[in-house]
Amino acid sequence: MLSRETQVMLNQRTRIILAVLIIIALTFTILDLRGGKGPFSSVRSVVSSALGGVQVAASVIVSPITGVGSWWGTWGDQRARIAELESGNATLQDALVRSAEDRARADGLDQLLRVAGVGRYRIVPAEVIAVEPAQDFSWTVTIDAGRDDGLLADMTVINGQGLIGRILSTTKTTATVVLIVDVSSAVGARVAGTEEIGILSGTGRQDSLEFQTLDPLASLKSGQALVTFGSRSGRPYAPGIPIGEVVGVSGTAGQLTRIATVRPFADVSQLSIVGVVIRPPREDPRDSVLPSPPATTTDASALASPSPSGVDDGASPAPTASTKPKKEKAAKPVPSPTPSAGTSASSESN
Amino acid sequence: MWIRQTVICASVIVLAVMLQLTLLSRLGLPGATPDLVVVCVVALALAYGPLTGAVVGFAAGLVIGFTPPAGGVIGIQALIFLVIGFLTGAVVDPRDRTVPVLMGLVGLSTGAATLAYAVLIAGFGGNQVAWDAVPALVLTSSLYGLILAPVVVPTISWLVRRVTPEIAS
Repeated sequence: MLSRETQVMLNQRTRIILAVLIIIALTFTILDLRGGKGPFSSVRSVVSSALGGVQVAASVIVSPITGVGSWWGTWGDQRARIAELESGNATLQDALVRSAEDRARADGLDQLLRVAGVGRYRIVPAEVIAVEPAQDFSWTVTIDAGRDDGLLADMTVINGQGLIGRILSTTKTTATVVLIVDVSSAVGARVAGTEEIGILSGTGRQDSLEFQTLDPLASLKSGQALVTFGSRSGRPYAPGIPIGEVVGVSGTAGQLTRIATVRPFADVSQLSIVGVVIRPPREDPRDSVLPSPPATTTDASALASPSPSGVDDGASPAPTASTKPKKEKAAKPVPSPTPSAGTSASSESN
Repeated sequence: MWIRQTVICASVIVLAVMLQLTLLSRLGLPGATPDLVVVCVVALALAYGPLTGAVVGFAAGLVIGFTPPAGGVIGIQALIFLVIGFLTGAVVDPRDRTVPVLMGLVGLSTGAATLAYAVLIAGFGGNQVAWDAVPALVLTSSLYGLILAPVVVPTISWLVRRVTPEIAS
């Protein structure tokens, strides 16, 4: 053992190669951490395009395994079910797995369509095909829709429960999504039923977000729901999408800011079917998309979450705070479907 | 011979990265994602020695850095995997490869990779590390490494002996 080791250590060529590789790795690290688009964006997009195709194929192959989202949550049931299936023949087993997967996918799509229908978002459905490993501390996923499907960077990504994130980059056939729980994520949000607005930042944990109101005197309570505030022409975030509910408030009234902990409606660790909002609604749907719907929705088909919301369509406020989420409500005055041409901010909502 | 060696290393790494990102990370297992790539780097380093191990580790780190969703920092994993590949090849005696040793080695490597990533990314000024999650991630990462080792390492050793029989180890 020792002889081999010393021999290796002393080998000049080995040392040179190792040194070169270490220097390259360190250079890459520093360049990548400098932020911005960086020198790697073009390399990344080339590799993304090449490997994205492979990922789509791989995802199709592994989809029967990952498709049923509840497998690991109900391990005991699964064992029983496996035992039962073993008694059946292979064809039946295959058919069963596939139909369960199809049901799960259909359910996801149904919920997504409900959200999109109520809020009048025009969406492109997509499926998550790759997820960043948890130990990378980065909440990003790849979906199987890209530029060819009309996706652009900064578009909003939702699923049947609510907001998921926004598109970071696209290739021809795939797109990378930054989830709202990522530390780099910041969403302009409004407390449903009120006009309190603030910034919702990711914490890197899958079940908590941090909401900071712009008004230090704002009253926040546990159980209040948050919806997106919306940006000009719906990018990065379309208005009115449910995000989550307040589960705790820290900081007292009168401090510079109040910080609330928010639990997102969507379970970002179990993503399958998602939708990309390619065109926001002409009018801000306000609170109508929230799970326990106020007057506007007819079909109450969702889990009841307490959302103290009346449909306050009148008198919208004109927040003057110059934060990132620009104001866009009642965006297009005439029903002309031109997604560009953001109109002047802070017009009345209806 | 080195062409066959390159081909086998490259295909093992690409396959491992694909499996890790499209299958293992989507299973929703508690804690970390099973680090199949590190296990493969260790296995290849055991088969081909420290220099190849280091190069393979470096390449694997870059591939996983560039493959979408590409949320990690490019270069850090290359650095970590390089060190793991080199040390594995240099320190472990080829004659002393019983299953418990292999499992311990792989478990140590996957846990160390997770910890080193968190430490390095914080050291380089990244702010995304959720430190309260790190112990659980390191622990589960080691555990999954232990579980993967007795399956993956013999498979790759067998593959190596088949494709490049002149490597006698």
